[in-house]
Parts: sequence; C-alpha cells; structure tokens
Amino acid sequence: MKWAGIAYALVVALLSAPAGAQSDPKADLAKLKPKDFPTQPIEFTVVYPAGGGMDVSARLLAKHVENLTGDRILVNNRTGGAGMVGHSYLATQAKPDGYTVGVVASLLWGDAMLRAQGRWSFTDLEPIAYVNSDALIWVGSTEGPYKGMSIKDVVNAAKDKPNTIRVAIVPGSMWEYILDQIEANSGAKFLRVPFQGGGAGITALIGGNVDIAQGFYSEFRGHLEGGKVAPLAVAAAGRMDFLKGMPTFNEAFGSNEYLWQLVRYAVVPKDTPADRKAYLAAAVQTAMKDPELIAEYRKQGVFFDPKLENSKNLAADLNAYAEVERQFYIKTGRLK
Amino acid sequence: MFERALNVFWVVLGATSAVYAWSLGMIGPAGPESGLFPFIASVIVASAGVVLLLRPATLAHAPDFPRGGGLWRVLGVILGLIVMAAGMPYLGFSVTSFITMIILLRTVDRSSWLSAVTLAFLSTVSVFWLFGSMLGMALPRGPWGW
Amino acid sequence: MMEALNGLLTGFGVILTPANLYLCFLGSLIGTLVGVLPGVGPLAALALLLPVTFTLSPIGGMVMLASIFYGAMYGGSTTSILLNIPGEAASVVTCIDGHQMARQGRAGPALGIAAIGSFIAGTLGVVIMTFFAPAIAAAAIRFGPPENFALMVLGLVCTLFMISGSTIKGVLMMALGFLTAAVGLDVVNGRERYTFGSVDLSGGIELLALVIGLFGVAEILSNVETMAKTTLLADRIRGLWPSLADWRASWRAILRGSGLGFVLGLVPGGGPVTAAFMSYALEKRIAAQPDRFGKGAIEGVAGPESANNSAVAGSLIPVLSLGIPGNPVTALLLGALIIQGIQPGPLFIAQQPDLFWGIVASMYVGNVFLLLLNLPLVGLWVQFLRIPYRVMFPVVLLLCVVGTYSANKNVFDLWVMLGFGVAGYVLRKLEYDLAPFVIAFVLAPLLEQSLRQSLVMSSDGAMILIKRPVTGLLLAASVVLTFLMFRRRTKTEGGLP
Repeated sequence: MKWAGIAYALVVALLSAPAGAQSDPKADLAKLKPKDFPTQPIEFTVVYPAGGGMDVSARLLAKHVENLTGDRILVNNRTGGAGMVGHSYLATQAKPDGYTVGVVASLLWGDAMLRAQGRWSFTDLEPIAYVNSDALIWVGSTEGPYKGMSIKDVVNAAKDKPNTIRVAIVPGSMWEYILDQIEANSGAKFLRVPFQGGGAGITALIGGNVDIAQGFYSEFRGHLEGGKVAPLAVAAAGRMDFLKGMPTFNEAFGSNEYLWQLVRYAVVPKDTPADRKAYLAAAVQTAMKDPELIAEYRKQGVFFDPKLENSKNLAADLNAYAEVERQFYIKTGRLK
Repeated sequence: MFERALNVFWVVLGATSAVYAWSLGMIGPAGPESGLFPFIASVIVASAGVVLLLRPATLAHAPDFPRGGGLWRVLGVILGLIVMAAGMPYLGFSVTSFITMIILLRTVDRSSWLSAVTLAFLSTVSVFWLFGSMLGMALPRGPWGW
Repeated sequence: MMEALNGLLTGFGVILTPANLYLCFLGSLIGTLVGVLPGVGPLAALALLLPVTFTLSPIGGMVMLASIFYGAMYGGSTTSILLNIPGEAASVVTCIDGHQMARQGRAGPALGIAAIGSFIAGTLGVVIMTFFAPAIAAAAIRFGPPENFALMVLGLVCTLFMISGSTIKGVLMMALGFLTAAVGLDVVNGRERYTFGSVDLSGGIELLALVIGLFGVAEILSNVETMAKTTLLADRIRGLWPSLADWRASWRAILRGSGLGFVLGLVPGGGPVTAAFMSYALEKRIAAQPDRFGKGAIEGVAGPESANNSAVAGSLIPVLSLGIPGNPVTALLLGALIIQGIQPGPLFIAQQPDLFWGIVASMYVGNVFLLLLNLPLVGLWVQFLRIPYRVMFPVVLLLCVVGTYSANKNVFDLWVMLGFGVAGYVLRKLEYDLAPFVIAFVLAPLLEQSLRQSLVMSSDGAMILIKRPVTGLLLAASVVLTFLMFRRRTKTEGGLP
C-alpha cells in the first residue's frame, strides 16, 4: 500500500514538473513525506573537519534542504583517520532509520578498497543524490624559479632535474596517484613533500617551501585573486568555467587518464526504509535544483558532472567511476 | 610495592612498544620512517622504568590507596562511567545518564532515594535541554526516541 | 599607521550598531559558558552554532563566532581554578597553580587575575593586529616545516623545565606522551600506527578525552575517595580581589604571556593550547623561586591565561590577512566566511574593509564585555564552592561526559576518558606529574611531522635545519636552554634525581 502511495505521488510530481513555474517543490516534497518521519533532527554526517571544502558543501546543502522541507538538519563532523573513522561509522554503525545521511566524497572508494580490509564496502552505502564535483588543480607560485612556466615546462624541468621540484602531496590519496601517473608517463621525478591536506600545501607554496601545490579551487581562490599563485592544469575532462585559460592535464599531455576529481554525493546506509530513502533523495535532489544553491556552489569552484547530474541510475554511474579507480589500484599494484 | 609494579609495567610497555615500532621501519630513503620516533620514545620509557626499578623507593609518603569506604566510592564512580559509556549507544543519553546519576548518588554519596531521583532527573533534563536546544547538539536517543 | 586608525574607525562604525553589539555580547556570553563547561571547547561550540550564522549578516556572524572563540579563553579558567578540572584544553596548566590558590582560600584573586590578564592580553593582541596584521602575516607565511620543527623542539625543552619533582619520571611521562600521540595515522605516509585494527584508534586519541580524563575524572576520583560530607573550600575564602602584592607579581607575567601567546597563536599548528603550556614553562623557568610553582604561584595563572587570549588574536591574523587557517578553530571560521560567499585571501582587507575592521573593532568591544561579564561572576563562582561536593560532583561528572562526547560524537572517546581517568588517578598517587605528558602529546605530532617534512624537502638532508636562519636560531636557543636547565637542576637539587 505504501508503494502505491509513493508511486502516485511521484507520478503527480512528474506530471506537474513540465508545467514549470506552476509546480511547487515544497508541496511536492511534502507529499512524499512518510508518516512519523522525521520526529527528531536528521544528521548530515561529514567525515572531514568543519570549515573544509566537504564541510562547506554539506552545510550549504543542509541549509537549503532545511528550508525546503522544514525538517531540522544537523551537520555533524565525525573526523579522524583522514575520513576512515567517519566512513566506517556510516558503513557499519549508523542506524539505517533515515536519520543519518552521509555527505561523502569519492575518497570513500579508496578507503573502502584499500583500507577497510573487508570490513565494509562502499556498496554498504546507497547513493541518493549527486551534489557536485571538484577537480584537482596544480598550482605554482608567482615567485621563484618556476614562475611563469606552463605545466609542460614544469614536467620537463622535473625530467631534467629529477628530485628537485618539490610538490605538496597528501599521502595515500589522489594527490599521490596523479604524480605516479605523470612520473610513469614522462620519466620525470618530483620530490614529494607530505602534508595533512591540500590547504596546508598551498600555504607552503606561498611561503616558498614547496614549488608546486595541489588542491581545489576553493583552497586557493583567495590567493589567486591576490596574485600569489598561478594555476597550471586541472585533472578533469574539460576546462573549468572559472579558469578558462587553464588547460586540462589530458590536453597538455594528449592523454585521457588524468582524471582526478572529488565526487560529492549524499548516501544513506543500506537497508534504510524505502519511503524514507525516497523522501530524502527527493529532498536533496530538489535542493540541488535551486539556482541559489547552484550559484553558491559555483563560487566554490565546483563543477557539475553532466553524466551524474542527469543520471538515471546514480549508483550504477558512481560504481562505474569507482571501477575505474579500482583498475588504477590494480594496475599500480596497490590492490591485488 | 605498587611502585615496583608500575616500574615493571613501564619496562614491559617500553620493550613491547619498541619491538612493534621496530617492525614499522626505522629509517627509509626519505628520512625517518613510521617507527623511528615511537621506537626512541619506547626505549626512553623502558630505560626510565629500569632506572626507577634500580633506585631505592623515593616517594615522599607511601601511596595511600583507598580502602573500605573510599574504595567503594571510587569504584562507584568508575562503575557509573562504565554504565554511561556502555549504555549510551543503546539506551540513549537521557536514560543512561539518569541511571548513572542514580548510581553515583546512591553509592558514592548515600543520599536518600528521593533526593537521588530528584537530582538525577533534574540534571539529566537540564543537560539535555542545555546541549540539545541551546547549543543544538544531538545527544544520542534511545529506541524510544528520546 | 593612519590607514590602520582609519580602518579602525570604520570598524567601530560598523560594530557599534545595536544588532552587532548584541551579537558580540551573545557570543561573549556563550563563549564564557562554553569555557566554563568542562570539555566543551570553542571548536565544538563553533561547529554547533555555525548554522545560526547563516541567517545573520557576514559581519554579524563572524563577530559572534569570534567572540565565542576568545570568550571561551576567559571562561576556561573557572573550573580549572575552582575544581581542578580544566574547562578546556587551553586551561589545563591553570589547574596547577590556580587550584592550589583556591585551596589556600585565594580563589577570588586567582579568578580575578585570570580575567584581568585575559583582558589585557586580548586587548594587546588586538592592538598589534590593528597596526601590524599584514606585515606580520607576510612574515608568518614563511614559517615552514623547519621553523615549525625548531619551535616544537624549543617547546619540548621548555617542558623539561616544567617538570616538578623527579626528572626521570617527567622524562618518562614525556616519552609516553610521544607514544600516545603516535597512535593513529602517520601523517607523513598515511600508514596506521598502534591501531591494531581498531577503526576508532585510527583516528588517534582525542585530546579533549585525554585531558578531561587525566585531570577531570582523576580529580573527581581523588576527591571522592577522601570525601566527607563537607564542602570543598567554603571555609577558606579570603577576599575576592587580587592584592597589591598579587599585582606586583603578575603584571610582568601577563605581559610576557601576551607576547608569547601572540607569537604562538601566529604559527601554524599553534594556538591557545600550546601558548598556555609554553607560558607556564616560561614563567617557571624565569622565576626567582621556581619551587613556588605548583603551590599557588600567581604567575602560574597570570601567564597562561594571558597567553591563551592573545593567542586568539595571533591565530586570527593569518586567517584574516592571508586566508590561511593555523588551527581547527580558525579553519572553521574560514569555512564560515566561505559559506557566506566571502573568500579571505591577501586581498581580504582591501576588498572587504568593513568586514575586516568590523571584526577587529568587535574584538576590542568583546574583550570589554568579557571583562565586565567575568569580574562580577567571580563572586558568583566562588559561591559555587559552597555547594556540597556530594551534590556537585555527579553533575560535574555528567558535564565532563557530555563535554568529551561533544568533540567527536563518538562513544569511544568516553572509554578513552575513563581509561585516562583511572590512569591519572593511579599515577597521581605514585607522584607522577601529568602535565609533561599532555604537552608532549600535543607537541609531538607536529614535531615529528615537521622534521620529516623538512628532511624530505631539503636537498641536503639535515643541513636545512642549520641553513635556515630562524630554524638555526631556535635550535641554538633550545640547546642553550637545555644546558642551563641541567646546570640549574644540579645546583639546586644537588645532583640529578
């Protein structure tokens, strides 16, 4: 009987959507709301510290979902172990009662494949909505011996003088993997200086302690405007709207394997009741259509992957990306 | 006696930790590996333990470990905290803290049932309200929703 | 110079509206409350209240958040002094002498000096911020891994000074602190250390759980053991205000604490916690009679409490002038600005003068609010001592539990708190000084990380530590201090114990 109700509501929603301005997202959402849910605040779990890029995305989303639904949303940072503690919590401990929504990034896949040691898999978390994507960008300093160089110049310089160009990395993650790829393909050798996060690397770059830093747009935008850093290349499929002059790695090196993005999406623990899951999915997806939220996100320098935005089966599409990552791990010997 | 036991504990702790740290690797191509600093620290702990064992007891006064009433009170507090940590995920904050407060007030303090229940109820409710409503922090709820 | 004054005037213009003043006051109030509650620190409070700022203007939101941050530094000393339980991590050292003063009936003067020292340091910090923020930020940005390493070494050497009683035991505690800090992820290569497969341990040991356990729970266990049905200190309250002698003893400590705290707030990874610890070590090192420390030396309260306040101003400079956060709290403030659509960076002061100067001006106002709030409260807090301990301790224990839980919402932290509580209780009985353990725990990760980063990035190995001027200087200072320390210990204690 529940199913009929949901199906009816969805049909109504779908039929009224093409009418455009006449449909009221709030009303549609209210129709999907299950009985007795929610009676307490819903937790949006973020596995990284407050104030960081993931946290900012999650809080903006929470703000809009709260406005749309009138339900109380509490963003909770469960940090530790570079995300591992929070991911494990979501996958193994969080109650599948609809009161926990994880706002996670695709770093989850790496954690699940390389570090979970079989205790959980990322399929224990069901994606309900796509949020945004952030592509890894290499930046150089506007001072120092490498200023003004393009990405190809930098890699050539690293080939000529191996182990002298210092690159900031975050160990055990995409910051290292892209370096593995570049070094394997070009024969260059960089000096890898480890930091706890992309932001710390950018700080070191400005202070002259490293030559190249890797991070996301929101981490260096202020410095870019202040003329301290120069973006070199982005590890995405196409150029970024906010930095049209910056080539992609794939362009610069004539390849198609330099794709390193953080895909942010919302999940619920598996076995969450179907009606609650549908409601939460609809809530987040509706919020994601809000032009205000989209504008706020664009300011952070994120982009929206067209494949995931219009995905008919989000879980399958995400799994496809995860599979690519798995293949990378197998190829580089990190996974058997 | 306690002092000796503790010093032996330091030696054992330091030694086992040093072995574990050794297995993590000492020096690598890029400088110290994961194990170096813990190894040095473990060796210091073990050595300090050895030195302390070899010296005559130097405590200003003998350690007065609790006996009788004092011991029960200390154990009561520890029990209360164990109940709190073990119970919260299943029973939620409110119920667990209520039970814990009762335990504390009855064992450690020996107040009457009436004052224990009253104080337990009042403090649980006010803490829940203070953190839950004022600060907006979600304290765990039990299976009954609060 | 003139620019700064102009800017300040703009700022006051922005802040002196009823709405913003109200928010500043509200933040100060919440900050004080958060500081008083054991375990709940500014980080948890800011994270919880961040959503509230969405509905406020950027200046309103930032003013409120900032005032919670430094307000907590005012309130943190209260439970430290009265109950020997730290209100938050930066107030741990205040317990040492502050509580002893309370036991001598001088809780009032202790609380008063803490408040006034906080005010002076906080205001001095803002003054320096007003005139020198961009210049200081430009210099601070050059602080890289080698400099961090040298600073941490200096900090550890200062910690050696802090050791009261047996040196061997103190060194053992420091080594244990190092070991405990190693639990979790190795930052440099991402490997797990000492986690033995436990996911919770892979996040490391939470500082708050450790501190509340070692100092809060252990204290309660000690008190409960010897408890009769008496109140704690009611009969021994003598006077509420610091005496002239107190002032004479403290004013230099306050100034030193302000300076030291400001510098330590500035460097990445520093902040109020490190500042308070180092100030205590400094005061003890400089004092003519270091044996007074641990027995109610007022410098032991004045210095650290001032240091943790000026550290707030220091830590705000990199964030506001460069957009670079040095510790989790300022990272959160940065996030709050980003959510509002503002991106702090080198151009922040130029592009958003109202916002920047508004925040600076609000800090002057906030410090005044906090002084006015906290001084009269001294009388109130002292009255709390009259509550029978048997009623008070369960409530305090409950607050400790909730406070610890608030850090990560992870019940595992409660077990950590309990474990360290029992350990602290036992170690105290066997005359181990716990402060060096905590300091080593706080400083060790940064020290190890910085050293290894330095070695990786340098082309000539360890020589980088000598070739960079600031690093070399700090390391040389550490060596000198160590030498001096051993000389003093052998002289005053007749040989190494």
